[in-house]
Amino acid sequence: MKRARYMGIVLLGLAMLATACGSGSGGTASPSASGGASAPASASGGDGALPEVTLTWYYGVAQVSPDQQLIEDEVNKIIKPKINATVKLKPIDFGSYTTKLNTASAAGEKFDLVWTANWAFNYDENVKKGAFLPLDELIDKYAPETKQAIPQFTWDATKHQGKIYAVPNYQTVISRYGINVIKEYADKYGLDTSKVKRYEDLEPFFEQVKKNEPGIVPFMLVGPLTKFHPFFYGYDDYGVKIGDESYKTNSMEESPEYKQFVELMHRWFEKGYINEDASTVKQIDSSYNGKFAASIEYTMKPGYEAEIKAKNGGRDIVGIPLTDVTTTRTSNIATLTAISRTSKNPERAMMLLELVNTDSKLFNLLSFGLEGKHYDKLNDNTVKTKPNGGYIASNWVFGNVFNGYLIEGQAPDTWEVTKKLNESAVVQPTFGFNFDDTSVKAENANVAAIRAEYEPLLFTGTVDPAEYLPQYLDKLKKAGSEKIQAELQRQLDAWVAEKKKNG
Amino acid sequence: MSETALKRNRFGNAMIHLFFALLSIAIVAPFLLIVSVSLTDEKALVEFGYSFFPSRFSIIAYDFILRTPGALLRAYGNTIFITAAGTVLSLLITSMVAYTISRRDYRLRVPLTVYIFFTMLFSGGLVPFYILMTQYLHLKNSLWAIILPGMLSPFYVLIMKGFMGKIPHELIESAKVDGASEWRIFFRMILPLSTPALATLGLFIAFNYWNEWFNALLFIDSDRLVPLQLLLVRIMNTLDFLRNNSEYIQSLGLDMSQLPNESMRMALVILVAGPMMFIFPFFQKYFVQGMTVGSLKG
Repeated sequence: MKRARYMGIVLLGLAMLATACGSGSGGTASPSASGGASAPASASGGDGALPEVTLTWYYGVAQVSPDQQLIEDEVNKIIKPKINATVKLKPIDFGSYTTKLNTASAAGEKFDLVWTANWAFNYDENVKKGAFLPLDELIDKYAPETKQAIPQFTWDATKHQGKIYAVPNYQTVISRYGINVIKEYADKYGLDTSKVKRYEDLEPFFEQVKKNEPGIVPFMLVGPLTKFHPFFYGYDDYGVKIGDESYKTNSMEESPEYKQFVELMHRWFEKGYINEDASTVKQIDSSYNGKFAASIEYTMKPGYEAEIKAKNGGRDIVGIPLTDVTTTRTSNIATLTAISRTSKNPERAMMLLELVNTDSKLFNLLSFGLEGKHYDKLNDNTVKTKPNGGYIASNWVFGNVFNGYLIEGQAPDTWEVTKKLNESAVVQPTFGFNFDDTSVKAENANVAAIRAEYEPLLFTGTVDPAEYLPQYLDKLKKAGSEKIQAELQRQLDAWVAEKKKNG
Repeated sequence: MSETALKRNRFGNAMIHLFFALLSIAIVAPFLLIVSVSLTDEKALVEFGYSFFPSRFSIIAYDFILRTPGALLRAYGNTIFITAAGTVLSLLITSMVAYTISRRDYRLRVPLTVYIFFTMLFSGGLVPFYILMTQYLHLKNSLWAIILPGMLSPFYVLIMKGFMGKIPHELIESAKVDGASEWRIFFRMILPLSTPALATLGLFIAFNYWNEWFNALLFIDSDRLVPLQLLLVRIMNTLDFLRNNSEYIQSLGLDMSQLPNESMRMALVILVAGPMMFIFPFFQKYFVQGMTVGSLKG
């Protein structure tokens, strides 16, 4: 009896202990908070003979490679004679990148080049925090060729209050919205893909699939990727009707097109055309292979059908574009390289960037490794990477991908076609405008939270818009959407005036 | 009358058994799924998705990982070193601090206890911690960056203090009268008397070190120094992260085939978690014994 009671006490104590260590083992060392970042050393702007320097370059990779040191040595062999600098490459896996770089950057750690994007180590946030140096002068002086190779609108996308803070790693910057249909089903039910212009045109096809193919979801949607696409309805990303000279922003949620879209989705959901778990699924991964007939596609870039085929377990797909080729700020800032404010040698860092963006040998070395060891050449410009070669990286974290090799399976003219598409993209009227939410931060956060709650439900048709749409609009208003809209309009007007003044 | 009671009792027992059986299944099932996926041919996974029985059996994932076991073995080595060195050092320092502030005849015991307790409520935060570690202690890329921060936990010190406070002061005094030095008292009397507390805390400290990856994520760049959990977290996190941001990444054309495929990832989970799962039950016996020994004495 006594023993049992004591055991109980000990167990209770242990349980408390366990919860305590689970929650609070973070700050055990109780470090004494001392000193902020030391001031960046004054830039050494000596021309003539360049003194030797070492640059540090942080960038993201899918997985750190065993042969990293080898590549670094080879890179240094190329750049040392040209700019008298060596580089310390610091690849970090994408999953840790944001945490690691945010901490290092906040702690004022010294590094020179740093990869940034709108989806990892957020570019806009870090510009606002002052983590990067403004680059306009450096680019003009040390990277003229890089500047020339990239279209003006891509540069505009990187601007904050008129200043460039990062060099884009130029790649596909277009966005084209459409539907992917598994070819097998399209052929079987005689879907004429050239005739599909709107969602509604797919309805008969979905009906057939639903009726005749048990177990197959006609239209596979995933919550976070299913969006109301303003451009499809003639609006741009800030809700300005394209062609509207007065630049009046519209609340998309209140537009008739929006209502129509969510109603259509709900009707399809009710009929069973859409997968039931649509609002909670994050991505169509391999576990859904062979279980659906159509899905949504965002970037219909040249040759994407071949890429998807591989992911789809070898099923052919047909892409049906629903919109023109356009470009959004998001796709232009998906991969960038910035120079840290703690850099001691920003000039040399920019010279290195120019080299990476112009010297295809250097770029290919960084992206693909060494010929024979890490990849084989199939022809002059196409390579096949060796999966267990010991070095892998993503070419788009380093620089202009159009200077590099193509990967097996890509058509030989992929780069030319992509470049042309990039340049032919419809540049939306408010492109380059960047909403500064400082004055409406709280409202913006509230609205974002409500959006995150309702959008996946409404867009995937999971809930009835007759009931939920008014409720959603009401909540948005209460969260301050009108205040945001007014602030947006004010900033947009100022931006338009500025733009007109500059011609 | 008694028969119905018996029946009710039996029914109750059956319900309890059923409940725990279901609970156990819920715990074991995901693990079995991982085992199954790790043993499935990758192509079959792509075609048919996950299932509890490999649709096409293959040990290629294990074969592949174990053919170049360097990274995994090194990670095991790092983790074992961190855990062993960390636990021993941590126990030593924790018990020394706890003993000092548990001594009734020590004048500064109250302010010192408050000082230690204070750090439980307030900490410097991540960035100052990072600055201290990298710019003052220069511990970047060193295993000490993982061992040091976990070495002295105020919570464990207070627990230890509570335990040691119950050791009669007269014992210490009589040892002193017999001419024992402070060191001798501590190592020959106090530590042996505190074995149950040491065993319990040791278990938790060892767990913390074994599972530690966040400090490693912050401070370790070199691939040679990566501990086991970080190896796993990196692969899993990166994949999750890329998945959650697929909206943005789609246009970049990230070649997902560069990442370890499904069956390989699951095989890695098994290889990382497996050995511990088999070892732990054996050790657990000793720890439970250690705890009960302590309670009987009190």
